[in-house]
Amino acid sequence: MLSVLEALVFSTLDYAPALVFAALGAVLSERSGVVNVGVEGMMRAGAFAAAVASLAVPTPLGVVCGMAAGAALAAVHGYLCIRWRSDQVVSGMALNLVALAGGTFLLEALWSPTGTPPIEQLHRWVLPGLDQVPLLRALSGHSSLTYLAAVLPFLFHFALFRTPVGLRVRAVGEKPAAAATLGLSVPALRYGCVVGSGLLAGLGGAALSTSTLDRFEHHMPAGLGFMAVAAMVFGRWTPLGAFGAAAFFALGNALRIGLASSAPGLVEVIPQGFLLTLPYALTLLVLAAQGKKGAAPAALGTPYQPEAR
Amino acid sequence: MIRRLATVALASGLALTACKKKDETAPPALAMPAKRVVGLVTDVGGRGDQSFNDSALRGLELWAAGARFEGGGYRPSSADELKASLTPELASRQPPIVPLGVAPLVVQSKAQEDYEPNLELLVEQGAELTVGVGFMLENAVEAVARRNPKAKFLLIDSPVLDASGKPICLPNVRTVVFREEEGSFLVGALAGLVSKRRVGFVGGMEIPLIKKFEAGFRAGVASTNPAAAEKLLATYTGSFDNVAAGKQVGQDLMAKGVDVVFQAAGSDGLGVIQAVKEARAEGKDVYVIGVDSDQAHLAPGAVLTSMVKRVDLAVYEAVRDLKAGTLAGGDVARGLKEDGVGLAVVRLDFPGKLEALAKLEALRQRVVSGELHVPSNAAELAAFKAQP
Repeated sequence: MLSVLEALVFSTLDYAPALVFAALGAVLSERSGVVNVGVEGMMRAGAFAAAVASLAVPTPLGVVCGMAAGAALAAVHGYLCIRWRSDQVVSGMALNLVALAGGTFLLEALWSPTGTPPIEQLHRWVLPGLDQVPLLRALSGHSSLTYLAAVLPFLFHFALFRTPVGLRVRAVGEKPAAAATLGLSVPALRYGCVVGSGLLAGLGGAALSTSTLDRFEHHMPAGLGFMAVAAMVFGRWTPLGAFGAAAFFALGNALRIGLASSAPGLVEVIPQGFLLTLPYALTLLVLAAQGKKGAAPAALGTPYQPEAR
Repeated sequence: MIRRLATVALASGLALTACKKKDETAPPALAMPAKRVVGLVTDVGGRGDQSFNDSALRGLELWAAGARFEGGGYRPSSADELKASLTPELASRQPPIVPLGVAPLVVQSKAQEDYEPNLELLVEQGAELTVGVGFMLENAVEAVARRNPKAKFLLIDSPVLDASGKPICLPNVRTVVFREEEGSFLVGALAGLVSKRRVGFVGGMEIPLIKKFEAGFRAGVASTNPAAAEKLLATYTGSFDNVAAGKQVGQDLMAKGVDVVFQAAGSDGLGVIQAVKEARAEGKDVYVIGVDSDQAHLAPGAVLTSMVKRVDLAVYEAVRDLKAGTLAGGDVARGLKEDGVGLAVVRLDFPGKLEALAKLEALRQRVVSGELHVPSNAAELAAFKAQP
């Protein structure tokens, strides 16, 4: 029983980082007032670039390249949404399509379309001492990204709610005109947040191709980016909330898998499809219960026009 | 439409682009009388799924056309490349597998609604035979075949069905289905022989096709290791495109004591292989069995064998029949007997390997001779297990 619980925690920690980083990325962009449904595409770019770069350079550097690729895609999103005030949802979806097709195209042009060749996976850290303790053992043996994903949400939360920069970010997301009258540059702040969001989403994608698997696989990230956006909404646009929601999704997924194999009889009574929808159905319930308490930033999705009143 | 034409131009990489500018009605086959055109439409899995579509593409491109798709175009392949892609059984087949001098024309489908226009496009481009890869193309192949009675079609993995789901026969459509349960039976028998603790099965979506794999696998385990068959763990990931979910399932099964796992889960299965590979790196004695194509290269040392589905051979033989003028409509089922399914080379060593392989060969013979009927669903499986 203990070993089953251990496996549950281990596989959650293995799966969650990609989702956590992407959800944090979504929070950063949307807090500054720019809708980001392009997370999926940015993750794909990150996963692809990280795997490709890792063929030539050490994998940690490859991860940085993945982040850069996510940021590059995000910069395009920022340029369209901030400079040209285009529809932010349309721009995000367009980027998803570009990343989907672009990834496939490059894969076919550069390698056999079977995915990239295998790379060296990120190092897995065995925590001395901890790896002998039952249950706590599950915390050991993960890549550095897992440990980063456990710390980053707290740092981000602190920065967003307890530092001047965080206050400015929130201000341009709530009432950009007011922030501008105090001398803040709305476009600069928003650019920073959107690009930062791309860095985080790219990191999430890189976690998939360098830690979960050891190469880019042509389906990546298979909808994880949209789950990240859902985690952000579920977490009410706060870093810790999004973190909790992402962890909840990951745990729910692991639980579903664990239940199906532990209790085969259960699957005969409850159809698999029901178990599959469980995490999402719970999310819908929670969201419905929250009601309209206005968690979203007030200026979300509205391009900033200094001339408009 | 422009995009689709561009895809065709890219895919053919031949003189076809020029034809497009000339008279639209002139079929390109007339412009190139030397080579007969064979078309192929992938399902949404597309080129690069490392299994189903790639296998069909190998049969058409490498074997029938003697060409290799690289960097967006074709180059002629060498005899060595063709030889390297053949297993010993295939290399000794009569008549031998040699290039047939046809021109491949491949269109990939990005969405379900692409199937019909893609098939129609290949017929317009003069393909004498058009291959539809996967049961998802069933409706589209039927519709296009009815509209173009002179063109011939090969549908992989499904018969043509009428509105009520009953198989029907079209004179210009050959359909091929595989008896996956027979191949799964063999890998199940091997798993039963190799496993010391527990055997596991991972499926993708819980659909009848994958249930066939499970039933055959369970029967195979039961035939060599009845105790392991009782404890067998079977799980479904619910998708075919989610590596991360597959990896979680793999880790979950190993935590429950599984040491040999068979995956029939598309891309999710790559995650299962990854989980086993990582567990082996930690010193655990676990194995995984691949599916559709030989997946040993994904994790050398962890993949015990693969249950291969010879879609390539089915495509190749259809092209050969086309050239010989004997390609007729009708339904074909291919199992162990027809080399439609089989085992990839067992490259790993384990104690008692020679005896195990001898046992497998004996089982294979019994299935080929028809003495042993492999169950393909839960009801047949129960009857199978009841036998002495």
